[in-house]
Amino acid sequence: MDLILPYLATLAIFFFVYNILTWGLNIQFGYAGVLDFTFITFVACGAYFSGVFALGPGQKSTGFEWILGLNWPFPIALVMGALAAGLLGIVIGLIAINRLRSDYMAIVTLATGTVIYGLVSNYTPLFDGFDGLAGLQTPFSQWLNINYNQFTYLWVGFCAVVMVICWFIAQRILNSPLGRTMRAIREDQEAAEAFGKDSVRVRLIAMSMGAVLAGVGGALLMGFIGAFNPAGWTSGETFVVWAALIVGGRGNNWGGVVGSFVVAVLVNEATRYIPPIPGNATLIPTVRNMLIGASLIAVLWLRPEGIIPEARRRFYQLPLLPGRRTPAEGVGGAGS
Amino acid sequence: MVPEADLFLRVEHLSHSFGGFKAVDDCTFEIARGSISALIGPNGAGKSTAVGLIAGALKVQSGRVYFDGQDVTRLPAYKVARRGLLRTYQVSREFPLLTVMENLLVPPPDQRGESLLNALFRPSVGRRQDAALASRAVDVLETYGLLPLRDEYAGNLSGGEKRLLELARAEMANPKFMLLDEPMAGINPALIARLDGHIRRLRDQAGITFLLVEHNLDVVERICDQVVVMASGRTLAEGSMAELRRNPEVVRAYLGGGLDERAVG
Repeated sequence: MDLILPYLATLAIFFFVYNILTWGLNIQFGYAGVLDFTFITFVACGAYFSGVFALGPGQKSTGFEWILGLNWPFPIALVMGALAAGLLGIVIGLIAINRLRSDYMAIVTLATGTVIYGLVSNYTPLFDGFDGLAGLQTPFSQWLNINYNQFTYLWVGFCAVVMVICWFIAQRILNSPLGRTMRAIREDQEAAEAFGKDSVRVRLIAMSMGAVLAGVGGALLMGFIGAFNPAGWTSGETFVVWAALIVGGRGNNWGGVVGSFVVAVLVNEATRYIPPIPGNATLIPTVRNMLIGASLIAVLWLRPEGIIPEARRRFYQLPLLPGRRTPAEGVGGAGS
Repeated sequence: MVPEADLFLRVEHLSHSFGGFKAVDDCTFEIARGSISALIGPNGAGKSTAVGLIAGALKVQSGRVYFDGQDVTRLPAYKVARRGLLRTYQVSREFPLLTVMENLLVPPPDQRGESLLNALFRPSVGRRQDAALASRAVDVLETYGLLPLRDEYAGNLSGGEKRLLELARAEMANPKFMLLDEPMAGINPALIARLDGHIRRLRDQAGITFLLVEHNLDVVERICDQVVVMASGRTLAEGSMAELRRNPEVVRAYLGGGLDERAVG
């Protein structure tokens, strides 16, 4: 019991965080069709900035250096991390979305992310380079006297609350006219522009709101682990979130929940606690990556729209008046 | 020449090349307010390119476009559309994974629910406007006979239904001018009659001016007041269909050439 409960609590935290991440990518790709191949950069941005707002000042003499170091309470640091990620979303969006379409856009996001990765991991004054941030005091510990296990349970609750807020953000955008316009742009950007829709503005909103959720998720990881460094956000991590979204089903947020549970929690995180097989230490990580790839291929073959497809909207409750034609009669003479 | 007071769209010395190929070459014509006009010409004459240039979908390389008294030459497509000039495409460009109803709710201008702040904090603003738009959309769908299909994915409609949807969708945007690129392409004669009925209704009731790129000369003869003929990127002639039939140049380039263009449309 002493081991199982904290283990489950840890998995719950990863589940909640990955839900937020998958919804973030869903806003970008599932709603607006923005191919963001550097999603993990926004997660890292949230983690780093929440870290440097919550940590004390870094000192070059001790070998730890980073910007800011303001000792702010973690919840406020989390908001700052999310805002920083949102801003970065606008910046990368301006580079990628403004002039380019689809696949070119994807390459530019990937390239921009790689540049940022190189910068952050090599330029130590920012976030201490490859060593990364460490030594974050457990959030809430300045107010509560709790041990680490109790903190884990508290963090499950905190993540749950933040997740619910993110759910409302994602759902409200999806169900608004803004969400409808995003989906129209995803379906046919040129046609949407021909109807007066500013596709750059709308896609930038999607990019930055998705990045905000990514930043929130990153900040929650930072608060939980207390450390963050470049090993935690290699470009492969982006594809875990992508796989979760594609497997679960894009364009609707329940799909994101299913995908993050199956891909991110069951395959990617739960298997990290299996002890390595003696004599073959890399077997489990390798099989894990193969499983993620296999689930992606299986879904794309068998159910390309994902386990839970985008819901068809029937939110116009317009009872057919007596005398009006029924759908079965269709439109006469309108053959192709 | 269209009298100054009636002038609605003026295309002036428009040219456009793709690589070394001059698709539109010094093209000039005028469209009168409240008219239904046609842009005809053999395949490759530059009609669709001209449409793209007027609507801002293609960047104008040289020449000018004036719409409703203002220079719209350099405006991007969405800004041209917001001025009230709407274009449709040669192939139907519905939003396939949106329902028919949603397809009609995208075009209306000035939707307050499209602001992020309203979407997040005041969803009722969008919902209220949507309710009004939806009830209008029901009327429009009824007019086009598409109401029973309102919850169907637009991508599942037949080719003819998509054509009707294209026009219904455009009507929802309250345009002043509709630029229809081959609206009758690939549909049966019964539906052609219905479509041209809708075009005339929109002109008479909503005062919308039309410019149709069209190969079906029967339709052009029946509903168009004025016809612009293009060939090899240039304006060859302007006038009524009857005048153009007597114009030897037009007859050679288009009407009576070796290739019967009426079969193509």
